Amino acid sequence: MTATAEHAAEDGMGPAPRAPWAVIGRAMLQALLVAMAVLVLYPLAWMALNGFRSNTEIFNDPFALPQHWSFAAYAAAWQNGVSQFVASSLLVTGVSIVTTVFISAWAAYGLTRTRIPGQPLVTGFILGGMMLSPTVALVPLVRMMQDFGLYNTHWALILLYTAFRVPFTTFLIRAYMLDLPRDLDEAARMDGASEGQIFRRIILPLCRPILVSCVILHILFAWNEYLFAMIFTNSPSTQTLPVGLTSLMSKHGTDFAQVFAAMTISALPIVIVFFLTQRYFVRGLTEGIGK
Amino acid sequence: MAHLTLRDVRKTYGHMEVLHGIDLDIPSGEFVVFVGPSGCGKSTLLRSIAGLEEISSGEFRLDGRLMNRVAPARRGIAMVFQSYALYPHMTVFDNMAFGLKIAGLPRREIRARIERAAESLQLAPYLDRFPKALSGGQRQRVAIGRAIVRDPKVFLFDEPLSNLDAALRVATRIEIARLKQAMPGTTMIYVTHDQVEAMTLADRIVVMNGGSIEQVGTPLELYRTPANLFVARFIGSPAMNVIGAESLGGTAVALDGGGITSAAAPLARGARVQFGIRPEDLVPAPAAGAPFRGRIALVEQLGEVQMVHVELDGTGAPLVAKLAGTLELAAGDAIALGHAPEAAHLFGADGDRLRPAARSAA
Ligand SMILES: Nc1ncnc2c1ncn2[C@@H]1O[C@H](COP(=O)(O)OP(=O)(O)O)[C@@H](O)[C@H]1O
Ligand SMILES: [Mg+2]
Repeated sequence: MTATAEHAAEDGMGPAPRAPWAVIGRAMLQALLVAMAVLVLYPLAWMALNGFRSNTEIFNDPFALPQHWSFAAYAAAWQNGVSQFVASSLLVTGVSIVTTVFISAWAAYGLTRTRIPGQPLVTGFILGGMMLSPTVALVPLVRMMQDFGLYNTHWALILLYTAFRVPFTTFLIRAYMLDLPRDLDEAARMDGASEGQIFRRIILPLCRPILVSCVILHILFAWNEYLFAMIFTNSPSTQTLPVGLTSLMSKHGTDFAQVFAAMTISALPIVIVFFLTQRYFVRGLTEGIGK
Repeated sequence: MAHLTLRDVRKTYGHMEVLHGIDLDIPSGEFVVFVGPSGCGKSTLLRSIAGLEEISSGEFRLDGRLMNRVAPARRGIAMVFQSYALYPHMTVFDNMAFGLKIAGLPRREIRARIERAAESLQLAPYLDRFPKALSGGQRQRVAIGRAIVRDPKVFLFDEPLSNLDAALRVATRIEIARLKQAMPGTTMIYVTHDQVEAMTLADRIVVMNGGSIEQVGTPLELYRTPANLFVARFIGSPAMNVIGAESLGGTAVALDGGGITSAAAPLARGARVQFGIRPEDLVPAPAAGAPFRGRIALVEQLGEVQMVHVELDGTGAPLVAKLAGTLELAAGDAIALGHAPEAAHLFGADGDRLRPAARSAA
């Protein structure tokens, strides 16, 4: 959407006179984009604003703006477990980002830069992991985690998120690395660099755009993941935001102000991340898949 | 100071043999050029010397030490890549410093070496720039600088000029020749498919074809006494004319199509040979008795000289002559050409030179 909007903006800068149908077409396109933006933004804004009102106000007039801004609902939500859920989500997302991206980058480096016997098979095996459905694997995974003593810990989620996201992340990074000229590795080898040094000091820095994309994609996944979080954690101290919010709703289901506040808090980080990195996001993704 | 010895070096990819037993000695301090058509294995040979490719069989020795399994960085060899292969995320300084840092040189020593190299390559103002902010020629010099600072015993270049435009190519060629003069003890191996680069730069040229060495010699040796038809055609521009012929006994040779000419040395009567004559060795001759008679198909006037493309009478075979630019010639004219007997090159049916010819008129 961003790319289209930018394009439209660029088009508008040309001083050349335009055919009437072009102007109409452009106006219609812009109207469509505005409509889509409203469609997406309105519910979010409504949710965030209602967090500043009281439950009674919401019931009296659901669509009014807040009269006096009250942080009571936000504070209540924060104390009723949202702070714990946020901490869990931050921890699980943060650690699994590091493990996933690092393992994937190493794997992609191995798959693109070394001669290993049966390489196509190994590549197929790793990338084939993308086909694996989490739902199908649930029962054995639960048994495994119980056996490992990891059930209802953050580690269970970190492990699962890493395992299930490594194939896709490897796929993206591998595509990018395939396009990096091999001469660079060879120049570094002539310069005396070891495999590890080539990876860390040459290839990894050059992969930054795709790594940023992978981090963002992983945040989007891990922050919102529900299935594993619901099944592998069951106490407020380990639950992440999506699961925690559901339990909050079942406990304080009638206190809509608090629920809205909790939801707003949980959505906020991801919105911020997206706006901070959207340039990278759009560019890196197309670059990675492009060829 | 480093001399290289290659003995029966072979390289195979899968089932395909790319180098078919290379034997070569390169003395210390020599500037050697590998030249040959695209795909003949020049880069593969160079990369085997660098250690980027492992030799499948045979031996490569550097100062007598077997190098087959020595890591590239430990061979004392530096290489300038065709693409330059500068690290795009590092400044010019860091590009040059990378190898030195890995080797664990003290910071001050690194700085001193880089400043010295930058000075001689006119890169001093650009040390803080990234490669993308440099021109092609500057990038080329950074690539050379990165090799120089390592103070290598052997310097390898893989088609270093092929990414530059014509004017810059000449300038850089001269710069490389200067670089060689400034480093007399350093052995240099230079790969190119351009015979002009080979002729102008080399102490000795190695002509390669299809994964084998055709001939090794100084530029003039190759020009004057090519060992076979391939070298004869490859060295010299425009390429040598080659015409089928038969010996009439003595030095007389009957060319296919009717002309009769003489070679410098006698041949057995009736022998089938290939008769070679360089375009610059042909001169206008009186029509009667001229070995080459034909019609001008095309004239490329270069001012000082003109390339005259002739269609020979009888066979219609093409012949190129490099004649003085002052002659009035036009397409469609009849022309007769002759040559000095010493200028003739004779090759057997297998393409090998029949006997060392006397010196060709240059
Ligand atoms: N990695 C490789 N795998 C298979 N064949 C290769 C490889 N590298 C080069 N070749 C083949 O080896 C031959 C020589 O290549 P190269 O040394 O690059 O030629 P040149 O540098 O003279 O143009 C070519 O036929 C090429 O296709
Ligand atoms: Mg090559």
